[in-house]
Amino acid sequence: MFLSRTQVIVALAAVGLALFVLDLVRRRKLSEEYSLLWVLATVVVAVLGFSTPLLRTITRALGILYEGSTVFAVGLAFATAGLLYLSVKMSRISFENHALTREVAFLRLAVQELRGDAAAARDRGNA
Amino acid sequence: MSPHDVLVIVPAHNEVESLPATLAAIRRAAPAVDVLVVDDGSKDGTSEVARTHGVPVLSHAVNLGVGGALQSGFRYAVERGYAIGVQLDADGQHDPADLGALLAPLREGRCDVCIGSRYVARSGYRAPLARRLGMLLFSGVVRLALGRRISDTTSGYRAYSLAVMRVCEHDFPKDFPDAPLLISLARRGFRLQEVPVTMRERAAGQSFYTLGKKLYYPYKNLLASLMALLRRPA
Repeated sequence: MFLSRTQVIVALAAVGLALFVLDLVRRRKLSEEYSLLWVLATVVVAVLGFSTPLLRTITRALGILYEGSTVFAVGLAFATAGLLYLSVKMSRISFENHALTREVAFLRLAVQELRGDAAAARDRGNA
Repeated sequence: MSPHDVLVIVPAHNEVESLPATLAAIRRAAPAVDVLVVDDGSKDGTSEVARTHGVPVLSHAVNLGVGGALQSGFRYAVERGYAIGVQLDADGQHDPADLGALLAPLREGRCDVCIGSRYVARSGYRAPLARRLGMLLFSGVVRLALGRRISDTTSGYRAYSLAVMRVCEHDFPKDFPDAPLLISLARRGFRLQEVPVTMRERAAGQSFYTLGKKLYYPYKNLLASLMALLRRPA
């Protein structure tokens, strides 16, 4: 089985990235939820990078001329999926942020009014 | 309908300089209406200035944009039982003397949203070219969507009925107070009307729209207008 230089580099990079992702989870810098996509992506790219017969079959099926391109195409597909997923997630977080900011504003006003009422009651008590 | 049925909502973002004059002008023009300042994440003590003028303040911890500020104002108005909410810019562009004209059609039950327009009658206001082109574009979009002309789709000087505020308070085209809002309101069966008002150049402070937002605004507004058309009105 002959591995091209590109395949070896891609596969090693994928393994390295997978290890880095797992380490990020260990250090609580990355949540398990987000790590899944990354681990999945790196595993697929690594498998394609190492196993030439599978890669050759897929490359032929897709009509791609060069096997290295298949690896990059798969990587790119994962990156695109990941970015879209993050955009959706971010939109939801910004929506929640919106709601929270408004909620806090109302609570602030309520506190202020309660304080005002309390002060007024104290003044009445003193008078 | 007593004057206390009316709440003037003043969205303000870093408006320390112009807010006192705006609040004073409202007091002079309409001494009996209630005023609420929505401080939209200002960094310059806008909230404090408003409070020293004896006005209730809703202060957002971070900037949400005009739409978010307006939505908070609507919620306040709904919770406290106001019949009409008026949106009036803090920067002194909107003349409180026009309040009566803006309120009349709503009080007489002739419409649900009354828009203060710079273009119904000559007002002396002349916007920069890019702004005029943008307004022309959105006027066209609204015309296509609703089959009728709204001369000033980007006017931030509007009065809303309680029914409109009830709907907008929880379902609002997120930070799109312009064409998309008008389209979505009209599709819900609310009646829109325009009355002529005078607009001035902003007295001080910075516009909500920075350069980046100016470029992004047309895209966002077109897309949101389209979505307002595609969504089933609830």
